[in-house]
Amino acid sequence: MTKDLHDGGAFSRRSFLKGASAAAVGSAALHANADAHQDGPKSYAQGAHAIALTVNGKEHRLQVETRTTLLDALRDTLDLTGAKKGCDRGACGGCTVHVDGLPVNACLMLALDAQATQITTVEGIGRPGHDHPLVLEFARCDAMQCGVCTPGMVMSSLHCLQTNANPDRASVQRAISGNICRCGTYGRICEAVAGAAKRMQGEKR
Amino acid sequence: MRPFSYIVPRTLSEASIAAKKPGALLKAAGIDVVDRMKERKHDATELVSLLPLKDRLATIASDGLGVRIGALATLAQIADSKDLANAAFAALRESAGIAATPQVRNRATAAGNVLQLARCWYLRSSDLQCLHGRDGTSCLAMVGDNRYHSVLGYLDCVRVHPSNLAPALLALGCDYSTELAGKTTRRPLRDLFPTEPKAEADEHTLLPGEILTAFHVPPQPMGARSAYRESREKLSFDWATTAAAARVVIEGGVIKEASLVLGAVAPVPLDRPDAAKMLVGEKPSDELFVRAAQRAFVDARPLSHNGYKPQVGMAVVREVLHAVTR
Ligand SMILES: Cc1cc2nc3c(=O)[nH]c(=O)nc-3n(C[C@H](O)[C@H](O)[C@H](O)COP(=O)(O)OP(=O)(O)OC[C@H]3O[C@@H](n4cnc5c(N)ncnc54)[C@H](O)[C@@H]3O)c2cc1C
Ligand code: FES
Ligand code: FES
Repeated sequence: MTKDLHDGGAFSRRSFLKGASAAAVGSAALHANADAHQDGPKSYAQGAHAIALTVNGKEHRLQVETRTTLLDALRDTLDLTGAKKGCDRGACGGCTVHVDGLPVNACLMLALDAQATQITTVEGIGRPGHDHPLVLEFARCDAMQCGVCTPGMVMSSLHCLQTNANPDRASVQRAISGNICRCGTYGRICEAVAGAAKRMQGEKR
Repeated sequence: MRPFSYIVPRTLSEASIAAKKPGALLKAAGIDVVDRMKERKHDATELVSLLPLKDRLATIASDGLGVRIGALATLAQIADSKDLANAAFAALRESAGIAATPQVRNRATAAGNVLQLARCWYLRSSDLQCLHGRDGTSCLAMVGDNRYHSVLGYLDCVRVHPSNLAPALLALGCDYSTELAGKTTRRPLRDLFPTEPKAEADEHTLLPGEILTAFHVPPQPMGARSAYRESREKLSFDWATTAAAARVVIEGGVIKEASLVLGAVAPVPLDRPDAAKMLVGEKPSDELFVRAAQRAFVDARPLSHNGYKPQVGMAVVREVLHAVTR
């Protein structure tokens, strides 16, 4: 938080939240590792713990509390703000990320449960200087208005294309049936996924 | 969420011992548990994670002609399982495959689905106290907004059992296995639910520390088929407003065996043996299915806001019976 202010950054809601979570970690006892008891199961006491998460192919060491969700760890600690917090209850799909290749709601998964998994967020789907075909097609089709649902839509669409190179419209609809778009851009999203499928087949040829 | 400690058991018996402690709560994928903790409705001080036992508890495997579904198998696994491809098991695939959303199905476990807390908005609100939540004196839904609540089989609390999978498992005559402090027990699935679903009764009969380890789907004879249908307000995301699972065995065009279980209309998944009996010895027909559906809801007692449920529920029963005999 101090850094942001010194940098002349505005006192944004995000920098405030980051400051608050850092303070919470600072005041709680920081457990270096889970306690492993000889005579009982491993346990993480209340408070903060150092863990590792593999996100977009890179291992990050970070501190989380036992109650930190994967979504909060990604957004507030790792600064990966692509996944959005819409409802925080599994009821909008804005927070969709892939865990071990499957789309899940990061808001209902504890960060501790995401250890030893491969996490992919929307930030990890292209290469530098080479946008993912889905991203290009979402832009070309203007498949968004406010854009809040877009990262989640992209991640659900990505899984659809990974399991079916040439999905029909019904399969796309099924694939994005866990993502809500309050702006009602579903039609264009379906077009964008169809366009991305074509592009990806072209790339393969 | 209030702070809690998080236990990583290495064995079932470690999990069972840890979960027995006051203030401890078992957690599978945690979709329902995290939701409740966020609402501050459930103040567990310790979560015992079952996910470390996934290797042993998440498989779906044929044993003989029957199938064992590990407690930690996900709804997505069940929906796509090759071991459940036979028409006899369709109710399981169908109920798992339309529950919730793709994202939820990718994590939600079979046991967590059957054991999730009722979706009553009074029960799940931290601002309200009710008899089933053990912090109030009466069922608030009985006189409040009860549009999603019971029409059958209720006593002093009108919650409904929300699980998609439970009616399908019951219609197929499944057993379940549990582990408690080193002891394994196998019982018929109906024993998992209270026979008198009073407000102050738990929604299931598991003892503190008792872990559900598997569902056992019995071998199915030739001609066995099952199906699941439900009504809901939205095509995705939503719990059912009424649901029905049916299993029949058909020989030479005649129904030889039948079972029918309703979901989302009573505090427990509700077996309707009298309606099912009407089908036995008969040839499938719409007229027969209409009578069976009426029988299934003959003792319905709708509340102030859910008069639609018996009507819609009967249509769903008629539909599931057509589907299972098609
Ligand atoms: C947006 C949304 C829509 C949904 N729609 C539907 C729907 O249409 N139909 C439907 O059926 N469900 C629906 N659900 C609910 C969802 O299916 C359940 O929350 C999920 O199945 C719970 O599984 P879990 O593994 O996360 O269980 P958890 O949340 O980990 O546990 C749930 C409960 O079961 C207990 N438990 C879990 N495993 C065991 C075990 N092995 N032994 C003993 N106790 C255990 C826990 O202590 C807890 O009380 C929906 C959920 C969301 C978020
Ligand atoms: S924020 Fe996770 S589903 Fe809405
Ligand atoms: S573009 Fe606004 S929510 Fe989808």
